[in-house]
Amino acid sequence: MTGLSGALLALVTLTLVKATPLIYAALGGVLSERSGVVNIGLEGILTAGAFFAVVATAASGNPVVGVAAGVIAGALLAAILAFAATRLGVDQIVAGTGLNIVAIGGAAYGLVVVFGQPGASREVPNLGPAGETVLVILAFAIAAALWFALFRTPWGLHVRSCGENPRAAEIAGIDALRTRFWAVVIGGAIAALGGVYLSLAELDLYSDGMTAGRGYIALAAVIFGRWNPFGALGAALFFGFFAALQYSLQRAGIPSELMQALPYVAALVALTGFAGRVRAPAADGIPFEH
Amino acid sequence: MVRGLRPVYAALILAGSAVLLAACSHAKSIADGGPARLGMVTDVGGLGDRSFNDSAYRGLLAAKDNLHADVAVLQSKSASDYQPNLTVLANKEYDLIFAIGFLMAKDVNEVATRYPARHFAIIDAVVDQPNVASVTFKEEDGSFLAGAAAAMASKTHQVAFLGGVDIPLLRKFEAGFAAGAREIDPTIKVAVKYTGSFDDAAAGKELSGVLFDQGADVVFVAAGKAGIGAIDQVKTRPGDYVIGVDSDQDALAPGKVLTSMIKRVDVGVFRLAQETVAQKLPSGHLVLGLKEDGVGLTAFQYTKNVMTPDRIATIKRLRAMIIAGTIKPPSTREELAQFKPVPLGR
Repeated sequence: MTGLSGALLALVTLTLVKATPLIYAALGGVLSERSGVVNIGLEGILTAGAFFAVVATAASGNPVVGVAAGVIAGALLAAILAFAATRLGVDQIVAGTGLNIVAIGGAAYGLVVVFGQPGASREVPNLGPAGETVLVILAFAIAAALWFALFRTPWGLHVRSCGENPRAAEIAGIDALRTRFWAVVIGGAIAALGGVYLSLAELDLYSDGMTAGRGYIALAAVIFGRWNPFGALGAALFFGFFAALQYSLQRAGIPSELMQALPYVAALVALTGFAGRVRAPAADGIPFEH
Repeated sequence: MVRGLRPVYAALILAGSAVLLAACSHAKSIADGGPARLGMVTDVGGLGDRSFNDSAYRGLLAAKDNLHADVAVLQSKSASDYQPNLTVLANKEYDLIFAIGFLMAKDVNEVATRYPARHFAIIDAVVDQPNVASVTFKEEDGSFLAGAAAAMASKTHQVAFLGGVDIPLLRKFEAGFAAGAREIDPTIKVAVKYTGSFDDAAAGKELSGVLFDQGADVVFVAAGKAGIGAIDQVKTRPGDYVIGVDSDQDALAPGKVLTSMIKRVDVGVFRLAQETVAQKLPSGHLVLGLKEDGVGLTAFQYTKNVMTPDRIATIKRLRAMIIAGTIKPPSTREELAQFKPVPLGR
């Protein structure tokens, strides 16, 4: 009996561990897209968060400083996208993809510059089990706070109206470009916490490619969660659960690729089930000019 | 229309002249008495994997220090970089160009056909061209010894293999390891899992945690950079061990890495470099096993408390039996199913 409850507890723990970086990235994506800016650059923001968190920790010896640095790095990187999307009116997909390339390449180069070795940084003091727990709980708290902010405050109404109809928002006296800019920047700060979690809570170093596509899975979680913070939270937990499940189910005899596809197959099945009801913000991804 | 395209043409002309310049810059080759020029293209694992590519790089650096060769390394960020990187080095007339990893087999084949006057070497794959030397390793032999060491150290009679991507090359590690464990303990349970990636260090940590939770107390990790996470995992688990791979990873967590199954890619690289310096451009197929010190275990420097002299002696006897051909470690799952432990004798 204890064996079963032990296995269940392990599954729940692993689900949370797998889901946390996805939750942060997906929440960042939700905020950004609610304001009308598609953020393909989540993978790059996760990378920047993970990398600068380790760099700042190595420099200061204090992982809390690392958390702050990771968040600021994510916000700054998102600010580039936000500027390009609002002031330059460029294609958001192109800008976001550029962001990914810059962040991933920059971190690879940064490793050589800062740590004198390519591939992986040295180990730094990390947040420890207590810090990891705090980051997991914080992910849920931010989901709730973001839901409240988006649906129960005037600012949230402004953000959502910019995502649905920026022209109408402008007529109502909202500065749509400014609103979008800050939504993307704050979204970047939130998403970066996912990278910080990977490098400073789960591990204690940065290694090239460690985000391993989580930013893209988070994009799927945004859609799967129907652009709602609680939806995105649920979607991230769903992906995390199936990833954790495939870890325990994998064994010799069953092709492991089949098991590794499990979370995505589950998502496809679930998405098809919801297909009729999925609707993006009307002006999502469309550049707007005054 | 044409006016609008002018910058594009300008860029094209610039790019073209850069290629011409690169092709014209002619260095003195070894035939003219210059130093040997050795190029290397890493696979997507890249330098800093503390494992496979780093080992190859050590071989190249040894050639630089001991053979006074000129060396250059190009790293590949994705599979689409392999051909361009190989072509750049071929254009620059490097004497021997190393392609690190079986992932580049097809690209080496193509570039070698286009540049018949250049010489190439590929690690972990066989490319049948007159100007390509192929180096492969008997990973199953070294992994067999790793499996034996794991079975000796295990108290739970459960050990595990954690691979990167489920491909034939990694199955050589898997099959050899499982057979070696059974050689010592015929009823031992050997769990097998794959991270699905060589980069995802967090997945390496999580999956090794799952394997330990499911009862294994020694996990052999062959997963590139994802393996860094497994070493992080074992640090907090008293009584559990991991076994490192490719490079000597024992010092990454002293006392927690039982041993490392080293694959001396550096030995292979250095041997070919030596032949190049002797102006005997290498070709053909070089197989490195236990006898050539191409694979093997580290010396249990930090784990002598579990690996008693008796046990180390058994490892040595197994090694001798594999070299003598008395034991043939399996290199596929099919061969593993047929494997029967060989009586150790005295």
